[in-house]
Amino acid sequence: MAILDSTIFSSYERDHALFDELYDSNGKVKDIYQKLFALYGAHSIDDYMRLNEKAKSSFFNQGITFQVYDDKEMQEKIFPFDLFPRIIDAKEWELIEKGAIQRSRALNLFLHDIYHDKKILKQGVVPLELVSSSENYLHQMMGVDPPGGIYNHISGTDIIKHNDGKYYVLEDNIRCPSGVSYVICNRTALKRALFGVFNHYETHTVTNYAENLLDLLETVKPKGVDSPNTVVITPGMYNSAFYEHSYLAKTMGVELVEGRDLFVENEFVYMRTIKGPVKVDIIYRRIDDQFLDPLEFRADSALGVPGLFSAYKKGNVTLANAPGTGVADDKAVYTYMPDIIKYYLDETPILNNVHTYHCSRPDELKYVLEHIHELVIKPVDEAGGYGISIGNRLSKEEIEKVKKQIQESPRKYVAQPIMSLSVHPTYIDETNSFEQRHVDLRTFTILGKDKDFVLKGGLTRVALKRGNLVVNSSQGGGSKDTWVLKP
Amino acid sequence: MSLEYKIVYCAENQYEFPVKEARWQFLICPHQDENQELHSFSFTNSMNFPYEISTNAYGFKTLRILARTKFKNIEFKANFTLNKKILNPFNFELATDPFEELNRYHDLHFKVDHEPFLRKTPLTTLLDEHSNFFEYNKGETVFENLQLLNKWVFEKIFYTPGVTHVNTTLDYIVENRHGVCQDFAHLFSAIARQYGIPCRYVSGYLHQGNGYFGDSQMHAWTEAYLMDVGWVGFDPTNNILASDNHIKVAHGKDYADCAPIKGIILSKGENTTSHSVQVHGQQQQQ
Amino acid sequence: MLARVANNLFWMGRYIERSEHIARYMHVNYFSSLDAPNELSRSRQFVLNSMLRMIGDPESPEGTELNEEDVLFKLALDHDHPYSIISNVKYTRENANSARDLISTDLYESINKFYHFVLKYPVDHFLKKGMYDFCINIIEMSSILRGKIRSTLLHDEVYAIILLGVNLERANQLIRIINSKYKDASISKGGYGNTFRNSFEWTTLLKSVESYDMMRRFYKKTPTSATTLEFLILNPNCPRSLMNSLNQIYRHIRVLDNSFRYNKNSTAFLVGRVRSEYQYKYIEEIEGNIEQFIDGMLKNLADIGTKMENEFFHY
Repeated sequence: MAILDSTIFSSYERDHALFDELYDSNGKVKDIYQKLFALYGAHSIDDYMRLNEKAKSSFFNQGITFQVYDDKEMQEKIFPFDLFPRIIDAKEWELIEKGAIQRSRALNLFLHDIYHDKKILKQGVVPLELVSSSENYLHQMMGVDPPGGIYNHISGTDIIKHNDGKYYVLEDNIRCPSGVSYVICNRTALKRALFGVFNHYETHTVTNYAENLLDLLETVKPKGVDSPNTVVITPGMYNSAFYEHSYLAKTMGVELVEGRDLFVENEFVYMRTIKGPVKVDIIYRRIDDQFLDPLEFRADSALGVPGLFSAYKKGNVTLANAPGTGVADDKAVYTYMPDIIKYYLDETPILNNVHTYHCSRPDELKYVLEHIHELVIKPVDEAGGYGISIGNRLSKEEIEKVKKQIQESPRKYVAQPIMSLSVHPTYIDETNSFEQRHVDLRTFTILGKDKDFVLKGGLTRVALKRGNLVVNSSQGGGSKDTWVLKP
Repeated sequence: MSLEYKIVYCAENQYEFPVKEARWQFLICPHQDENQELHSFSFTNSMNFPYEISTNAYGFKTLRILARTKFKNIEFKANFTLNKKILNPFNFELATDPFEELNRYHDLHFKVDHEPFLRKTPLTTLLDEHSNFFEYNKGETVFENLQLLNKWVFEKIFYTPGVTHVNTTLDYIVENRHGVCQDFAHLFSAIARQYGIPCRYVSGYLHQGNGYFGDSQMHAWTEAYLMDVGWVGFDPTNNILASDNHIKVAHGKDYADCAPIKGIILSKGENTTSHSVQVHGQQQQQ
Repeated sequence: MLARVANNLFWMGRYIERSEHIARYMHVNYFSSLDAPNELSRSRQFVLNSMLRMIGDPESPEGTELNEEDVLFKLALDHDHPYSIISNVKYTRENANSARDLISTDLYESINKFYHFVLKYPVDHFLKKGMYDFCINIIEMSSILRGKIRSTLLHDEVYAIILLGVNLERANQLIRIINSKYKDASISKGGYGNTFRNSFEWTTLLKSVESYDMMRRFYKKTPTSATTLEFLILNPNCPRSLMNSLNQIYRHIRVLDNSFRYNKNSTAFLVGRVRSEYQYKYIEEIEGNIEQFIDGMLKNLADIGTKMENEFFHY
């Protein structure tokens, strides 16, 4: 067998301007990837194509799919999965894990503060506008003490590796972050297709997420409850994350309920079972704040449970995450994360934030105006990527226009350095070969009372289009199994 | 001196098809505070469903009913008796330096503490072109300005039931100049908040003995925060200060926090609702 | 278990069973008619009408010419017809989806494969040459599902509810098929001896519920109206008989309600009552009054369904 021209890596082209996770600074394949590289390289392209098809049909048959409307027909698609795993060594992982916990802890203290004494606002460490302009800030939560003192039990942190080789956090997702079920599915699919490769590595398991989730949720059970009854609440089977909801309920061994399965009587929550009402103590909710309780929030919500909020306020039920937690994952809060960590924990951030220049501060404004070609300019209050200007893609005229806009209303703008995501070898169906694709990493953290957990692994998301930086599954992103190596 | 009030609240709901399950929440109980004292209340319905007492997110008492037997019509009736102190709403002194007074409203601690009642909500948002109609006079005290605002709102809108609903925007109301007490209260709050004066929406009952506007429904007015004084009630629907004719039930950022009745009904088809409120007052010596 | 989810599992069981019966009825009747001993039974119109009757379509007016492809499409692959096999399989999967956390991954995966098989089946191929292949696959996949239900689920309430659905539906389909074939037998002339009693349609009836071989083994005689009905209605050892289904229903309802207190309003009481009535019946009491039996039994089964709904699935 002529190894070179029949192996799948033979046509891998490296763009040296990109940070390729497979190679070290000397241009050699990194030690931790050596074995993997050899094992995969031993496959012929035909072999590999077959494995790839098998993995796809495994997802399809398991019904791990999402639905898209194509013209008038509804089509089921799988989330594209790449068989070549990403490896993170023990040392790097330690940093990620500590950093993720630090952020979760700081955000929890921040949430407690802004729903109680609001010290951080009064001392001007973060501006009042951060909460006063946020629709996710729920006044109903003022003075409410969540069981166990935890607001953001479950969070997902989006991390990238920049071309300086360092990790940066892009977002802290603490509303209802999804994706953890795919971490486990990816691992299963990879094992089914290429079990042999696991013999050569000592990788942490990812299947312990659900047991830890249940365990930590039970640490924040309502007062006076001995063995709590936990449920997962879903908007229903037409929700795009329904598979995940059912997966979590199943692996925790708890009921998966919809709003209509629950009711509140005398400030306690019950579910309707075939044997009559059964009290519910802990609810892992996968529905948004505004839909939780039609008596307190959106009156037209058919997804929620009337009276749930007052039962919560009485301390008779735990909601994870707590209502009103979403205010802390607003984009504007992110830019203050280093200040928030410093303020509550008196620590320096373990994971980098992308540095944010606030144009409202004169010295930072000056820097922004001078370095606009190497910055991304973002309006503070626009969501969904609107109004963003990327400095190195602007013409001279456009740069002048943007400068003028910033000078007119500096408070409305922030600027960040242009980040570049690292790349990872990814098998591309169209060319039947490996190519460089941008990746990020979503980690999953659980916070309980005096206890925390970070899943040793995560969802490596891949932007499948060449040169694209958008890894979201809604925009054609795929994912990879992610191995965290034991020390 | 005080007044004794008897309040009767009635609501009737009719449904085209039988209702399988329903849940209502009523926010109609007079609030207990230093100026008003609830003596007794009763709450009944024609289906004899039991009720529970709860509190809403702002701590006001709610009455809740869970219905699990089928029905097509239901009537609710609540009776309240209470005592209300007769007070002069004017019993405070005006600030001496209007500039210094207004400055105190811009203090960060103050703004943080009163954030909920300084915020723009969907019901208290005005387009820029509309928000400049009323001009704040910095040479006069906050109270004087609020009184001018009270009058301005009173003159701006013609009290007309039935032309607006709970989701009508303020801009529409300002352009068309017709509305009911909710709309008066929202407009007042929107403008006061814009000048940095905390303002809350109040829902309650109005004793109409003096020919005040307010229909035989629940009434709405506002409370604005005055430095060194506290919350003072303004009723822009009638261009008066809230007084012993105003019986407060609840306050919030806007109507959405204070809706008197909320219902979640499992049924199809149309439904009709009617409400009525009667307030009887009589003076008492103490 | 949540009441709503129990309801979904119950219906999942019913839809699994229903698909199989439609598939078998379709191919058995179609193929028997090809070489049936009398002209009417060989008539295409006769067999198409019988199929429509079985899925509960209203009788088409006298003289209507049915189009074979239309009828086969309607029974098998018509998305817009709620009784078609494809609709049944869709409902099966939808119900399974909502109870996905309670059923085994294995069972779900098989349901999912089943769904994709039906969804992807080319209509044209089905109509021109694939009818047998399609039906046999449906029947086989249904048995796989039943096997997975039995072997990959804990035999607890979830299992009991699914099997209640399966057996209630089996009883229902059996009665509908008896009804349809009984009418066919009345219309057509018997092949051997030319009487209703010896109609060729009794053989088709037995084959339509996969009981022909069992019946021959038991009676060792050509099926007649009496022996066929006796076997299919009263013989508890025939796994497809009404009696067997009633026994199963009783067994599984006892898992949900194991109280032996006298409660005439419970589902278990009603199931027990219907079961005891047929346990000790003579076929002669039924044979002369077959229409009355059919109507009565359909009503009994519907009542059991309604009672179950009120007692367990009310949410």
